[in-house]
Amino acid sequence: MIFAGLPLAQLLAVFGAVGFGVLVLYILKLRRRVVAVPFSPLWERILRDKEATSLFSKLKRLLSLLLQLALLALLVLALGDPRAAESLLKGRTIVVLVDASASMQSTDVAGTRLGAAKDEIKRMVRGLGGADRMLVAQMDAMVTPLGPMTGDTSALERELDGVHATDARADFPRALRFASDVLRGVDGGEIVVVSDGALGEASDTSGPVHLGTSKLSFVKVGTSDRNVGITQFSVRRYPLDKSRYEVMLELTNAAAVAEDVELQLLGDGALVDLTKLRLQPGQSLARFYPQLSGASRTLEAKIALVDGTHDDLPADDHAYALLPERRRAKVLVVTEGNTYLEAALLLDEYLDVTDVAPVGYAAALGKGTWDAVIFDRVTPAEMPKAAALYLDPRGPGAPVKVTDELKQPGFDKIDRKHPAVRFLALDDVNVAVGHKLVPETGDKVLGASDGGASPLLVAGTRAGYRFIALGFDVRDSDLPLRTAWPLFVINCINWFTDEDAQYLSSFRTGEVWRIPVAGGVAQASVKMPDGSTQSVPVHEGRAVMLGQLAGFYELTAGDQHTTFAANLLDASETAIAPRDAPVVDGKAAGTLAGFHVGVRREIWIYLLLVAALLTALEWATYHRRLTV
Amino acid sequence: MGLLDVLPWRREKKVASAKDDDLFDDEFQRKLEYLALVSRRVFSGRLRAERRTKKSGSGVEFADHRDYQPGDDFRYLDWNVYQRFEKLLVRLYEEEEDLAIYFILDTSASMAFGGGQKLRYAKKVVAALAYVGLANLDRVSIVTTSDRVMERLPETRGKARIFKAFRFLREVQAEGTTDLGDAMKTFVAQNKRRGLAVLVSDLYDPRGFEKGINILRYNKFDPFVVHVVDRAEGKPKLNGDVLVYDCETGDEREVTVTAKVLQRFGEAYAAYLADVDRFCATHQVPYVTASVDVAFDELILRVFRRGGFLR
Repeated sequence: MIFAGLPLAQLLAVFGAVGFGVLVLYILKLRRRVVAVPFSPLWERILRDKEATSLFSKLKRLLSLLLQLALLALLVLALGDPRAAESLLKGRTIVVLVDASASMQSTDVAGTRLGAAKDEIKRMVRGLGGADRMLVAQMDAMVTPLGPMTGDTSALERELDGVHATDARADFPRALRFASDVLRGVDGGEIVVVSDGALGEASDTSGPVHLGTSKLSFVKVGTSDRNVGITQFSVRRYPLDKSRYEVMLELTNAAAVAEDVELQLLGDGALVDLTKLRLQPGQSLARFYPQLSGASRTLEAKIALVDGTHDDLPADDHAYALLPERRRAKVLVVTEGNTYLEAALLLDEYLDVTDVAPVGYAAALGKGTWDAVIFDRVTPAEMPKAAALYLDPRGPGAPVKVTDELKQPGFDKIDRKHPAVRFLALDDVNVAVGHKLVPETGDKVLGASDGGASPLLVAGTRAGYRFIALGFDVRDSDLPLRTAWPLFVINCINWFTDEDAQYLSSFRTGEVWRIPVAGGVAQASVKMPDGSTQSVPVHEGRAVMLGQLAGFYELTAGDQHTTFAANLLDASETAIAPRDAPVVDGKAAGTLAGFHVGVRREIWIYLLLVAALLTALEWATYHRRLTV
Repeated sequence: MGLLDVLPWRREKKVASAKDDDLFDDEFQRKLEYLALVSRRVFSGRLRAERRTKKSGSGVEFADHRDYQPGDDFRYLDWNVYQRFEKLLVRLYEEEEDLAIYFILDTSASMAFGGGQKLRYAKKVVAALAYVGLANLDRVSIVTTSDRVMERLPETRGKARIFKAFRFLREVQAEGTTDLGDAMKTFVAQNKRRGLAVLVSDLYDPRGFEKGINILRYNKFDPFVVHVVDRAEGKPKLNGDVLVYDCETGDEREVTVTAKVLQRFGEAYAAYLADVDRFCATHQVPYVTASVDVAFDELILRVFRRGGFLR
């Protein structure tokens, strides 16, 4: 037995001092109320009977004193926090991973699955031994420890109140690696996963997770599988008719019975389309809505069960998307005249094109702000403060160095991932003559001749402005006669203005998002779907954040405001049927053991309980005049 | 007002005295007249029967019947009535000789306990019975006692002397301890003429109530006990740790009062009353319990009807 609280010497001193006080108070005689009676011999008749038990009365008085001293001893002992020596040595170290993924919002249990998980953990916390220590971590797209490793049960219960479900999937391998790292070097550490089991494989790009000597336990929450969710949702404008758009979505029925659902499409909050669908058990149904119009900015998809009931997971019943902004781009074309170029620019009605001859370039440039400048066989001495497309650049003003003349070059190598040349057929373009471009560090070669040795098409950034340089005059090639030509020109302008054909109508929750912002700011502010505001860093012209809530976000960077959407869109989260214990490191997680609610190892609690019991006993016997 | 007068029991005594001024008001006197009329109709009670037993055969005028009681002289049984109704009745005769009636009023401090209710009640009972006696031309005397004979109203006759009795009773104060034995010794020494001795008391005598009654019996008086009882004294409103002291003797005892103790006290009180009743019955001493919660005239009438007191 050891004392974790006050040391024994202090305990004895406290007991001595207070015990002396109790004795003194006990010796002091009780002052009785004086009452007159008409005939005291009647009282004496009773008291004669009582005197027969006077010895017992004295014993009761002594017993009462002993009771007081026993109470004092119990309280003083409790102050000392006595513990069994072995319990200190054999305390457990436990890491609890509480699943806060989207499926934990399911309402198939009282409250939500996350609420049930919290209750389970609270029961575990109350069953902690005196020497046990626990760390609770929230497991979603990230792993967030809610506090330090502690044995303070009230602190652990408080921490649990801060756990909220997200609209993202859980990163199980990351959470396991975190728990394993926490327990590294701890003999007999325990990892407890409290989840509905929708966790995926316990391996990632680094390979399968190894837990070492740590024991893994699993606490399953959830009962039902009734859920229909939106598992895909995407929208895009047509590149050449930006007033129209198309929508692709996919619905999945995770339940074991067929469900009739009503699908609503809302454009800018107004109903655009309403469809009733029947989904068979486990069926994923893709729907494609082409040639839609009527929405200029936001698009939402909502599903509801036709019978008026609700499925168990509302988080995947609503999806959000944002249409790319239809901004009219201002393009300055510096050319002596190029019919092919003019024709290509005419295809996009959202381009505001101004043609200017090379002599009037300087004056035209100063007249306004340009989203893109196209130099056709013209190369100014200095780059404009705008994105620029150089067709056959020459001289020292070119963004890249122009060197050797190439006879009949071709696109032997193409960077097909770049937005400017993605999906373009440039392989068989015939070019009479061109020039080799020499990219600088950081520039990207989008197309090159001679097996990649002679760059012909280079993209990059100068002074914060993008540029693309084409190393030949299009009139010396058959490129203007091909479909790729106008697409190339529009792709370049879209890339300059961030109107990517691969525009993401929504981000996926649980992933790191990179949202383009205007240059020059290092910090941006994001208003979340729940109304809160978060500050995010800006790296290389993009705000970087990991979002875990579905809905519309508003990003403010300097004086630029951007709106974007995020969705769950995860079939594994839509399938809410509780799973069995996960298999990690070749072994299935075991069941929880060793937590006995109400049986704590702190002795002081029991000492206080006994003291309270004795006090109640003393109170009852005193008021029933048994001990006086 | 003295310093001690602030004490509650002192204040109670003053209040009791003040109330005694209107103790025998007009209403009371009207009731007395009514009681005298009623008594005249039925007054042939045991008092006279007792006396007549001692002077057997001296009565000549038949007055009334009463129930036979063990100890009655068989010669006075009305056998004609027994033959007709099969009920044993004793014939009673008018007494021609005047009767000496002594009212012995206990004025010990215990009679003033509880606001002096018992003393006031006892005074009314004594006044009523004295009036009835005076109205029937008996010789009436009133003495007050505690541990000795305190005050004395000399023997008097005639209804008009009742006001003298009122004045005497008004002046009576309760104080001192109870010692009926000593008091009765003095009483019998001072009163050679034997007669009816009506003892009006709460009988709270630490030396025993029997002694005083026995002295009356042994000296040829006809004792009649009116036991003044306040039922509230059997159920004291006490709780917890108290120090009880006797209002007469000042004896102190520490008591922890619980519901069980109160119950036992109630039983002891009832046993005490039963002891008094048993003693009087055993020694053929007429005994009446006069509870203060019964209106005094109702008590007298009830006694008349029952035949226990005036019969």
